[in-house]
Amino acid sequence: MTGSTPSSAIDGPSLLAFMKSRRVTRDFTDAPIPDEILAAIAAAGRWATSGGNGYPNQFLIVRDLERIELVRAASPGMIPVPPALILIGIDTEKAERFSMHVEPETMHWVDVGTAAMNMMNVAHAYGIGSCPVTSFSKGGVATMLDLPPTIDPVFILILGYPAPSIRVRNPNAPRPLTARDITSWERIGNHEPA
Amino acid sequence: MTDRGDGAQQLVLTLEEALELVTFLVSSAEICLHEPRFYGTFRLVDGASRLIDRVLQHGENQSTAFLTAFKQEIDANKAAMMSDRDTYYAFLRALPAPAAAELKRLRAGSILEVPS
Repeated sequence: MTGSTPSSAIDGPSLLAFMKSRRVTRDFTDAPIPDEILAAIAAAGRWATSGGNGYPNQFLIVRDLERIELVRAASPGMIPVPPALILIGIDTEKAERFSMHVEPETMHWVDVGTAAMNMMNVAHAYGIGSCPVTSFSKGGVATMLDLPPTIDPVFILILGYPAPSIRVRNPNAPRPLTARDITSWERIGNHEPA
Repeated sequence: MTDRGDGAQQLVLTLEEALELVTFLVSSAEICLHEPRFYGTFRLVDGASRLIDRVLQHGENQSTAFLTAFKQEIDANKAAMMSDRDTYYAFLRALPAPAAAELKRLRAGSILEVPS
């Protein structure tokens, strides 16, 4: 492993506990997010893995509330009006130059996902709540944000400081998924290492 | 629709707000093509909440109390779609009756209202 940060800077159990403490946030305060924090969140996306080191992602940070409201009109999955959002799009020209097959549900979606997850964790570290939005009209959002035709909008991360809320546990909610539920050892279905 | 000149005929949306909701509705229709079927029900009730929100921003009207409570009811229960499908479906089934009753009440009040 290379890099300027020693691997011991954050111990594994603490990092895992931190990641487990992140929740999707759908209620934000109106407080603006400082530009340097938004830049840091975008940088976290940059340092995500990318298939073939191709990095076809483009990140568009939007802070203008009028534009955010326009995006929301074409984004039924965006429930609140957040103080900021980051749109992750695929630069289709770059992807084509890299000979990626840019089709739905292929490798570029993985790149978007890894970038988005990095962003959500770093946002959490700055005390910023986030919520992924994928339920939107691509054509509608591209129009609202004046995207060039070479940028395919795939993912919107809405961001803001979490509003105070009381989390009420639904007694009818299904049991929370555990890591064990979806982890097998050597063969699918063996949920213990032994 | 006849122009009865009463409060029930009050205009409660601007053109821009109407277009915003039109965009929301047609965007919802598009994504219903690939999302789970029951998500469509969520889009409709969320659209109703967004519509009410815009209406309430225009100040008092004859249905302000109803719309305020109705929006609170929607917003408090719509998220059950993610966690408790039975509760969510029961919530959906209970929504139309009070809305219908409010429309009926409004209409009855309009017809009975005597112009001064």
